[in-house]
Amino acid sequence: MSTDTDPTTAQDPAAAQDSQRIRTGMRPDRQEPTLPTLGAVGMLRWGWRQLTSMRTALFLLLLLSIAAVPGSIFPQRNIDAGRVADYIAQHQTSAPWLDRLGFFDVYASPWFSAIYLLLFVSLVGCIAPRTKVHLSALRSTPPRAPARLQRLDEHAELTTTLTPDEALEAARKVLKGKRFRVHSHDGTSVSAESGYLRETGNLLFHLALTGIIIGMAVGHLLGWRGDIILAEGDKFASSAGTYNTISPGPWVDSETLPPFVLSLDKLHVEFNDTPGRSFGTPRLFDAQTTLQSSPGAPKSSENVSVNHPISVDGADIFLLGNGYTPVITVRDAKGQVLYREATPFLPQDPNYRSVGVIKVPSASPKQLGFTGFFLPTAEPSFTNGPMSLFPDANNPEIAMSLWEGNLFPGGAPQSVYTLNTEEMKQVLQPNGSPALFRLKPGETKQLPGGRGSITFDSVKRFAGLSVRTDPGAPISLVSATLATLGLILGLTIKRRRVFVRVRPAPAGAGGDRPEGTLDSPPGADGRPATVVTIGGLSKDSDPGLAAIVSAITTGVHDRLAERTDRS
Amino acid sequence: MNLAANANAALYAAMIVYTLAMLAFTWHLAARAPKVADSKVAEVPATERESVLVGAGAPTTSERRPATPYAAGPGFEESLKSRQRGSIALMLTYLASALLVSSVLMRGLAVGRPPWGNMFEFATAAAAAVGAAYSVLAKRNNWQWLGVFIVTPILLVLGLALTVLYTEAGELMPALKSYWLGIHVTVAFLAVAFFTLGCAVGLLYLVRLRREEKPPAKPNFIESLPSAQSLERTAYSLNMVAFILWTFTLIAGAIWAKQAWGSYWQWDPKEVWTFVIWTVYAAYMHSRATAGVDHRKSMYIALVGYVSVIVNFTLVNLVSTFVGMHNYSGMG
Repeated sequence: MSTDTDPTTAQDPAAAQDSQRIRTGMRPDRQEPTLPTLGAVGMLRWGWRQLTSMRTALFLLLLLSIAAVPGSIFPQRNIDAGRVADYIAQHQTSAPWLDRLGFFDVYASPWFSAIYLLLFVSLVGCIAPRTKVHLSALRSTPPRAPARLQRLDEHAELTTTLTPDEALEAARKVLKGKRFRVHSHDGTSVSAESGYLRETGNLLFHLALTGIIIGMAVGHLLGWRGDIILAEGDKFASSAGTYNTISPGPWVDSETLPPFVLSLDKLHVEFNDTPGRSFGTPRLFDAQTTLQSSPGAPKSSENVSVNHPISVDGADIFLLGNGYTPVITVRDAKGQVLYREATPFLPQDPNYRSVGVIKVPSASPKQLGFTGFFLPTAEPSFTNGPMSLFPDANNPEIAMSLWEGNLFPGGAPQSVYTLNTEEMKQVLQPNGSPALFRLKPGETKQLPGGRGSITFDSVKRFAGLSVRTDPGAPISLVSATLATLGLILGLTIKRRRVFVRVRPAPAGAGGDRPEGTLDSPPGADGRPATVVTIGGLSKDSDPGLAAIVSAITTGVHDRLAERTDRS
Repeated sequence: MNLAANANAALYAAMIVYTLAMLAFTWHLAARAPKVADSKVAEVPATERESVLVGAGAPTTSERRPATPYAAGPGFEESLKSRQRGSIALMLTYLASALLVSSVLMRGLAVGRPPWGNMFEFATAAAAAVGAAYSVLAKRNNWQWLGVFIVTPILLVLGLALTVLYTEAGELMPALKSYWLGIHVTVAFLAVAFFTLGCAVGLLYLVRLRREEKPPAKPNFIESLPSAQSLERTAYSLNMVAFILWTFTLIAGAIWAKQAWGSYWQWDPKEVWTFVIWTVYAAYMHSRATAGVDHRKSMYIALVGYVSVIVNFTLVNLVSTFVGMHNYSGMG
């Protein structure tokens, strides 16, 4: 940028003339100084420099942190689509706009992606040239000692009776002991540099960050997840069609899912039943399962619990949810069973008030649909509507209302957990109030108008299991570890340069002496003396630098003491 | 007496001793404040005075008052009285921190698990981490002046924990039953402790810097602190340590999330805020490394980071807007 020449400098006669005209109130021929045209390539280069500058990276970092916040305030589809739907229903005016702007999918929204992609382009653009510079710095020798070492941040000077070579040798030894790279450009000085690992760490950190992103991308493309709701006693055979929901990555061939077979033998669940603030909080979830890696393979007993997934064929099986599946039977007027299934009801609150739907398409003349609640520990009065008092099945009850009509308007696919009442009518009791069936296990109620009966047979638990593979996770993990290592190196190691120069002490009758002459003028005690100057500098504030400088003075003194001992 | 009751007794004792320590630190600061009469301008090296006067911008008017002559730390002679009071305050802090740490340990033993399973335990453990970190670092760095700014927030947090957040010692929710609780959360507490120290020093830096630029008519203890430049460096070092610890927290959390929830990152509100904190402090480290960015501006970024730490700890845990998978506050 600084290489651009400025045409409006005083040396430019045309520009001077212009400013003259402006001052005299005349209309100038040229109102604006012409900047050299950058051209397309120049513009690109300029843009690239802007993007890869530290300031831009800083701005993008701050922007990224601000952009991440809405995702924690507004409900997100990737976490809980149901809450998003509720929010949209409650905020008729603002929600459509928020939705359009991606506030319910912040982390997949174009603006969020734009910020982090720009950040990573900026990062790579910054790292690549720095890596090149650093690689050559790694192979270079420390620079020549500057003329006046006293001007450096830390400096010291001492006079010793060691010869210049001995003094330099002592300094060299100290510096090498402190892992400095040491080089002498001439016979009277030593240059030393250390802390190359600082920049290495910096670069490693930034490179590893890109590694994390790559790992995430790999996971997105090649990973998949499938969710199953499995009732106690039920068996699940894995294949693309058998999951309740499956979301494979774009590059996943859904024919290659591992063909394991899993059956849930028993789900152990415990809740805290001592009164107090944590009354009703969960204490234990443990699914006792039987696993076969493929149909016909040997069976093994496995326990899946929270924090303890099991692995099969590269896929991990997690226990992520649980709830109740009331076994409900619907009969027609003749007693013929129209529906008998363990139907999962989805828990809505910490006390497991659960909602569920029973669809009876085989009912005639009109299709029947039940919708309502399962309450594991029902509050008997229902004064505040159906409520559960405790998450365990201490007093289970279902409360269902009945609808009739067309269950599947337009034949469109629909969720098994909701009843589409567009083309249905609620069934009323003879007295005109909506029919509500409250049943405890074992109880049967007749449906009004000779429509048949409903029986609540028993209740079983279900386990919400999630099967996942993420081939990118190891890449991200290794990268994250390297990033931490790089961060520690880059922040804690100091880049230091230390220089030592020797010269013979100016004696009373000094004068010019040829360099390197050992029998130079005598010191105060009659022996030849040497002045040792030490200077050190560091890129950042560095309390350790003074210690190094003083270590060198000590080293020189020790060397002298050593020599005195020997002689 | 059972362990849980002992833990609570130790907590109350710690609060009493912290209160005494807070008073002692204030008393110490009062002794530090340079007296106008003592402040002979002559004690200050000429060059330093010159720069201060230039900074004041109005050398003629400042002649009649002592123009911040007590400049930077090394030039400041701490009085015997101030040193004694500082030592007393430090001793009290050691005792209080020891009591608090032992309270946390006893609670851990009482429930047979790492004692951070709900909001009350988070708050006390975080306060204990701050107290311990300060106690370990204060003596060797001569941080007596920092004491009151550390002990007071600790007291506030403990008070809130007891009055608002208190939960009986109980068993853990299944999602927390993992050895990662010990690793991830411990490191997070340490990081928060260092962020807190860094924030306190950072705030003092801003005040000190302001008063260095516009010397006040009346000097107070601020003038006895190390120079703004040195405070800034201290804050940077503390934030740097905290940032490294926070990076580790983030990674350990991701590993644990993978085990517990099947996915190492899913933008749950707690994850979002952990990420926001990380990014803001990364921006701080970055801006401090960028040539030409004022250190003061960098410090503002760090303070925004600390506000995020507090948001992460309070709002995200307690407000239902932030419903996610990290619902362990025990406040339901």
